[in-house]
Amino acid sequence: MMQIIVQGLLLSGLYALIAMGFMLIFSIGRTLNLAYGAYIMVGGYMYFWLSQQLGMPQVIGFLGAVSVGALIGLLKHRLIVKPLKGDAVAVEIATLILALITQFALVLIFGDASKILLPLIPGVVTVAGAQVTYNILAATVMSWIIILALYAFVRGTHTGRAMQAVSMDEKGAAISGIDPDRINMITWGISGALGAAGGVFFASYTQLSPQMWLAPVIISVAIVIVGGIGSIIGTLIVAHIIGFLEITVVAVLAPELRGVLTMVLIIGVLIMRPQGLFGREEH
Amino acid sequence: MDLRPHHFILWGLFIAAMLLMPELVSKGTLRTMIFACYLAMFAISWDILSGRTGYISFGHPFLIGIGAYTTAILTRRYGFPVEASIPIAVVVTMFGGLIVLLPALRIKGSYFALVTLAVMELMLQLIPVVRPDLTAGTRGISRLPALTRGAEDGYYLAVGLMLAIALFAWLLMRTRLGTALWAIGMNEESVRGSGLSTTRLKSFAFLVSAAIAGLAGAFYAHHLGAVTPRSIFDVNLLFQIIVACLLGGQAPFLDPSLAHSSWCFCWRTCVRQSALRWSSYGHFWSQFSLRSRDRAGSLSMR
Repeated sequence: MMQIIVQGLLLSGLYALIAMGFMLIFSIGRTLNLAYGAYIMVGGYMYFWLSQQLGMPQVIGFLGAVSVGALIGLLKHRLIVKPLKGDAVAVEIATLILALITQFALVLIFGDASKILLPLIPGVVTVAGAQVTYNILAATVMSWIIILALYAFVRGTHTGRAMQAVSMDEKGAAISGIDPDRINMITWGISGALGAAGGVFFASYTQLSPQMWLAPVIISVAIVIVGGIGSIIGTLIVAHIIGFLEITVVAVLAPELRGVLTMVLIIGVLIMRPQGLFGREEH
Repeated sequence: MDLRPHHFILWGLFIAAMLLMPELVSKGTLRTMIFACYLAMFAISWDILSGRTGYISFGHPFLIGIGAYTTAILTRRYGFPVEASIPIAVVVTMFGGLIVLLPALRIKGSYFALVTLAVMELMLQLIPVVRPDLTAGTRGISRLPALTRGAEDGYYLAVGLMLAIALFAWLLMRTRLGTALWAIGMNEESVRGSGLSTTRLKSFAFLVSAAIAGLAGAFYAHHLGAVTPRSIFDVNLLFQIIVACLLGGQAPFLDPSLAHSSWCFCWRTCVRQSALRWSSYGHFWSQFSLRSRDRAGSLSMR
């Protein structure tokens, strides 16, 4: 029982981090950014390349991954989202294709075999009778630090509040002197950085493979939609629901069913309650 | 769409060229062409569902996979003859189409795309778990009975099937029904406002699309000789279908002036897809599929 709670908390923190970056974009442009998977992949592989293949310190690997993620986010906003402004379907398809191109490129560079990331911090600790590796503990703690920092940023700073304003009403925000373009750009950058950071942790939790992006993307999209667009708290709650669901299924039923129930839950909620559980009213 | 004589001449030339192809090109190229034909069928099916009605489906491999798996299970596990298993596969896939239809009655846009993507992912995870004695898990079902011998016969079968489906889709889209489906993609509310039942129209589009996907999927499975979950319920297949549709210029958001010609669409899908695969993309792709582990399907094609 304790094992389930501890594991669930750890996995949920990770999901929450990955979903956060996605939530920012979705709440601003209502864009289903499927290339979010590209950040996850690139983040994981960048970290792998810098810290394991080049043997640099882990901090540099992590910073490298995050900055490349942010860079891709900015480029994507510049090259894809802005030119296709307003055409949601075209953006969706373009981002899907971008994610696949990233996947192909990574296969060409690193090969198709999955890679194991060395743990961020080696060692095992026993928390309340449950065996927990330092690695996943570190990942979760870092995720929470990043999430809290993001919350403080969105609530406390001028730029963060401007982001909220743009996500609620772009015209209104523009009238009150906010440059929506600039805010959009910043959001894409932050989202890319969050995705890449999530990718590093996710890869160290499971493993690094060119196919690793799809499931986390679907899960994070679902967390965001179910949690309600633009709601950080809702995202957190739903991330915990899904995290605990997966851990419980693995522990109680069968490990193979792990993804199955998650997908069923996602499909069910999307059909029954497309506006999400905790979201604000959409017009 | 206005039909002019030169359309027929062009199409006559195209069909003649397609039928002459085995005399002109090598066996290996022919296998690529076979894949292009199946891809064109999948693309036509996707187009009826998504390109027309505007409900972008990211889960089309779900329908193709149902068709492929149904015929695979029936022939290998229950010893059905191919003549019976393929029609059954089509019918079963149409039920699958109803599953995709359900969310489309309530949600649209990004939400629908996401649900279909989730349905595909669900299927990928479900197939190895449910009744592994039937589906053989992640290894998939192999040694399906072949319909044809040799690349040439397989090619003629694929081309014939593709032309038949293309003709059917083209005729269908010329009817008032096709126009109504088109109108749903433009503005669903005003279609409802003019007294048409959008539910009925959508069910029709989804069923036709599913039937074509099931038919093409079943034949495709027999052509490959094997189905694995990874090779069918795969984003790459979806990617190829969508790219084929985009290059074909049928999808309404690219270019409305091209949008009216189903003919043009099919031709371009086929030829450009093949051309792409032969050139840089082909190199890229062959690298990719050769390196992929459980991509038995692609490997057996090469």
